[in-house]
Amino acid sequence: MKLIMRYVRRHLGIFLLGVFFLTLETLAELLQPTFMARIVDRGVKDLDIAAILRYGAIMLGITAVGAVGAVMRNIYASRTSQQIGRELRGDMYKKTQSLSHENIDRLQTSSIITRITNDVTQIQTFVNGLMRIMMKVPIMCVGAVTLLIIQTPEQMPIMAAILIVCAALIAANMKLGFPRYGRLQKRLDRLNEVSREFLSGVRVVKAFNAEERESAKFSAAASDFADAGVSATRVLAVFGPLINLTVNFGIIALLWISKAQTSSEIGRLMASVNYMTQVLFSLGMVSNILNNAVRATTSAARVGEILDETPALAELGADTAEPLDITGEIAFGNVTFAYAGAARPALSDISFTVRAGETLGIIGATGSGKSSLVNLIPRFYDPTSGTVAVDNRDVRTIATDNLRGAIAVVPQQSLLFTGTITDNLRWGDENADEDAVLAASRTACADDFVRSFPDGYDTVLGQGGVNLSGGQKQRLSIARALVRRPKILILDDCTSALDASTEARVLNALRTEATETTVLLISQRISTVMRCDRVLCMEDGRVMGIGAHENLIADCPTYRAIYNSQIGGE
Amino acid sequence: MAERDVSLPPVREGMAANRGKPVEKPKDLRGTLLRLWSLCRGHGRGLGWIMVLSALASASSVFSPFLIGRAITSIDSGFSAVWLIALLAGLYVSDWLVRFVQQYFMASIGQRLILHIREVLFGAMKSLPLRYFDRHQHGEMMSRLTNDVDNISTTISDSLSQLMIYVFTIIGVLTIMLISNVFLTLISCSTVVLIFILTRVITVRTRKLYKQQQSLLGRLNGQIEESISGLSLVKAYSREGAMIREFEDCNEQYRAAATQAAIVSGYLMPLTSVINNLSYLTIAVVSGIMAAHGGVDLGVISSFLLYSKQFSRPFVDIANIYNNFQSAVAGAERVFEIIDETPEPEDVPNAVPIDRIRGDIELRNVTFGYDAEHPVLRDVSLTVAAGTRVAIVGPTGAGKTTIINLLTRFYDIDEGEILLDGVDLRDYKLRDLRRAFGVVLQDTSLFGASVRDNIAYGSDGTTPENVRDAAVTANADAFISRLPQGYETVLDGGGASLSQGERQLVTIARAVLVDAPILILDEATSSVDTMTEQKIRDAILKLTDGRTSFIIAHRLSTIRDSDVIVLIQGGKIAEQGSHAELMALGGLYAEMYRTQTGE
Repeated sequence: MKLIMRYVRRHLGIFLLGVFFLTLETLAELLQPTFMARIVDRGVKDLDIAAILRYGAIMLGITAVGAVGAVMRNIYASRTSQQIGRELRGDMYKKTQSLSHENIDRLQTSSIITRITNDVTQIQTFVNGLMRIMMKVPIMCVGAVTLLIIQTPEQMPIMAAILIVCAALIAANMKLGFPRYGRLQKRLDRLNEVSREFLSGVRVVKAFNAEERESAKFSAAASDFADAGVSATRVLAVFGPLINLTVNFGIIALLWISKAQTSSEIGRLMASVNYMTQVLFSLGMVSNILNNAVRATTSAARVGEILDETPALAELGADTAEPLDITGEIAFGNVTFAYAGAARPALSDISFTVRAGETLGIIGATGSGKSSLVNLIPRFYDPTSGTVAVDNRDVRTIATDNLRGAIAVVPQQSLLFTGTITDNLRWGDENADEDAVLAASRTACADDFVRSFPDGYDTVLGQGGVNLSGGQKQRLSIARALVRRPKILILDDCTSALDASTEARVLNALRTEATETTVLLISQRISTVMRCDRVLCMEDGRVMGIGAHENLIADCPTYRAIYNSQIGGE
Repeated sequence: MAERDVSLPPVREGMAANRGKPVEKPKDLRGTLLRLWSLCRGHGRGLGWIMVLSALASASSVFSPFLIGRAITSIDSGFSAVWLIALLAGLYVSDWLVRFVQQYFMASIGQRLILHIREVLFGAMKSLPLRYFDRHQHGEMMSRLTNDVDNISTTISDSLSQLMIYVFTIIGVLTIMLISNVFLTLISCSTVVLIFILTRVITVRTRKLYKQQQSLLGRLNGQIEESISGLSLVKAYSREGAMIREFEDCNEQYRAAATQAAIVSGYLMPLTSVINNLSYLTIAVVSGIMAAHGGVDLGVISSFLLYSKQFSRPFVDIANIYNNFQSAVAGAERVFEIIDETPEPEDVPNAVPIDRIRGDIELRNVTFGYDAEHPVLRDVSLTVAAGTRVAIVGPTGAGKTTIINLLTRFYDIDEGEILLDGVDLRDYKLRDLRRAFGVVLQDTSLFGASVRDNIAYGSDGTTPENVRDAAVTANADAFISRLPQGYETVLDGGGASLSQGERQLVTIARAVLVDAPILILDEATSSVDTMTEQKIRDAILKLTDGRTSFIIAHRLSTIRDSDVIVLIQGGKIAEQGSHAELMALGGLYAEMYRTQTGE
């Protein structure tokens, strides 16, 4: 709630203007019955057509003012809520762009997406409702009661009694309703989770004959959800009609009292009845408000989690204003790194250096820390202790843009974005000219297949590059990295979908074209890394050996074991 | 606005704001409703009562202004209004009772109905063939399970009972008005016509705006999804600024369109109320003139004025309610679409139960394609004797996984036959058949449960010792023991806290535990490092001893010691034999092997 209010406060001017028009609208609604009553009392009763027209004109005037109020209120409510929605989305989006990998790992991508889309929409609806209905209820109640008391002061005690009963009922409704709606929301999440799991694991479900088990799980979740639904709606079923009844008895009381005082004006009586019905209507909205508020509170909490996230990367502060011209020398000094919450470090006490322009192969078991190691260079993560240096400077003292500008990463999973192939390749360097793009594409052995498409480089890729094969995506993502002309090129096991001969062609081309680039090449295949200048062999987050292929075969038992398991042992 | 009547359900603000939103039309309204009704069987009586109660509830909204009017007239002319007031009180009390009973029971009937439909839908979904899941977006299926089903109950029942109330209200009010005064009734009716015209004019405008808003929303969501799932890349290329600019651009366009749509649709309510009050005034003037000539008495006028305000509201809302109703019925149709999908084929009448499986498998002239035009396997024949270790290799897309899909009857073949122990697969009971296979699939789906439950998945009534043994065999015990709560560690997000390799070890342990006579390992070791793979291979060697097994692997080094290696290319078996034989043959296998190992 605090979060929502923070955003509302930013537009307090417009918000208050909206509330002003809402008040106008509500007052007009309240006053109309009075003048309708006058039409009856002074006009119809005395058969005074002139009076009818006079009060009618006033009534219409009030109606017009009310209509203007309603239109303006709607304009401001829509503007404010949409604007707040926009700002929330924008702020969350900006925030996520600034988060580090560690944050993203913890929050999970799909959850972040739902928060930016659904949760923001919930809040937006709530803000709109706030300016549409929620503020109206108190204004309406206070106004109607005031008018009632002014018009018929003798009814004050009855009104007070009715109001107290209503307030008590509403309070009880809120108290019982809030936790129940909260629980409903949780159970809905659970139901979604069970369905999602079933759908994504359907092969396993079928292979293990587990349909009935999944059915039982689903039924349990669905019936828990239904129970929560019943108990939440029953609260409303109890209190809604009860509030109705209370107010209706107010009407009865009004009639009863006027029965005793035969002199009372009918019109006034009618107006009073009308005020009561308006109070009743306002109170009827309570259930809507309740529902809305619960959802918005849950959503706001989820949105807040993202906005409050602090990027895990702290800059030590770049000590030069001038962008650094990075040559590509890399040095690890006693680096230890553990993922947040992990029991054991992913990397322990790692030291080595790579000369500028050298090609270093990295091999090791899954989970031995290869990707973790290279992720420290562009500062996707920061080491727990020790230093990672580029050109003899701690990477934390280099401006992140400057650092990352010199590095190109080709990740394990090749991601492409909606847009043309050229757009995707230009990610590497927005100002790259056509020749540079073509050259990079050729080096990555992508040129041939791109040209085979009817639209060539202007082919529009769907989301995630859905219209390409795995190998084509990998080659494009290598080309994208090359467009950048990086000083440091990190290839993270990104040739897995290529057949051996294409892989060899790509790597050979890299060696001849990118001679001034430091290349870190991660692979599971020993045949891929053995052609590198030197190879770094890892196990359990430690460096087991570094050196040329022949030296490692001679000196490093781990490397020899991998070699034998893949090639030797014939 | 001022003419809001108490007795009508207070849902209008929101609905009026939606006017002109694109409405999804059901294809067969009548048919779908009939089917829904048959789904409600068993709840029929409850629903019937709800309808009756709705009718009663509307009675109160019809009669209370009438009674109030009479009471006021009586008071005014000095008569005793005690009876009338008592009657009104009685009406209010019964109104309360009816509403309470209706809402209270509607809550549970409605929810039980949703539950029932949801279970029917899930029941249908779980027995759909894999083909269906492979071809449909999971997000869409999810939304059928949640949104569409919820809508059926809440919207259809809400709008039905609301429609009932409105129809009764209109009929009731109209009758009383006609009895009271025909001429004044006609004036009230003309208001309704005016409001109809106004609604049309505004709806035409908003429809276009909402459409625009919808398409911008699609773009915005696409952008969010893409850039956040690709965030690591965005960061690697320092594209944050460009992405934010692009996003803000789309974000602003969406805001503008949405605001515009909301503003235009917001004109309807105030203008309607102006028209309504105009009609109020007209009735007042006309009835005043009539009263002057002794045409009507004061009581008639006052109750008429109350009615005139109540009268037009249902007309304004009915169109909206009907739209909501239609889109809910369209949702129901989507639900029925799934229920109507052909499920996995039923067992043949005299299906052979499986007691003991030897494990002889034979493919005879098998032809199969995921769609009719593109056969993946063409006329494939293969005989595998019980206890043979078979490796299936070949380029990507050659049809390796397809063979597995056919053996487990995830898909049924188009032509030819597959025999298990001499009997066509289709003659076995499907459940028995699948029990005969222990499967480790390419996708390492884990469930949101403890590691133990994940390993025991598919083996009911197993002991903790068995689970641990299976994990030890699969070399998973070591890492599981290091988890915070060991075997009781609950995995969430599909096991995202484990590495790909670790997830694979868990799925292997799962297959070990079911102890099936035939084993299938599809790329099971692709993400496990070569060292671990070595260990798994040892375990598999032990496990496959005496069992028929099929292993698919990209890395040829891992399947070198299989009894038979089958190389599939272009939908046919290109080469077949032991590693030594195929190397000697000097064909595609030998070439692939050499390039992979760099020899």
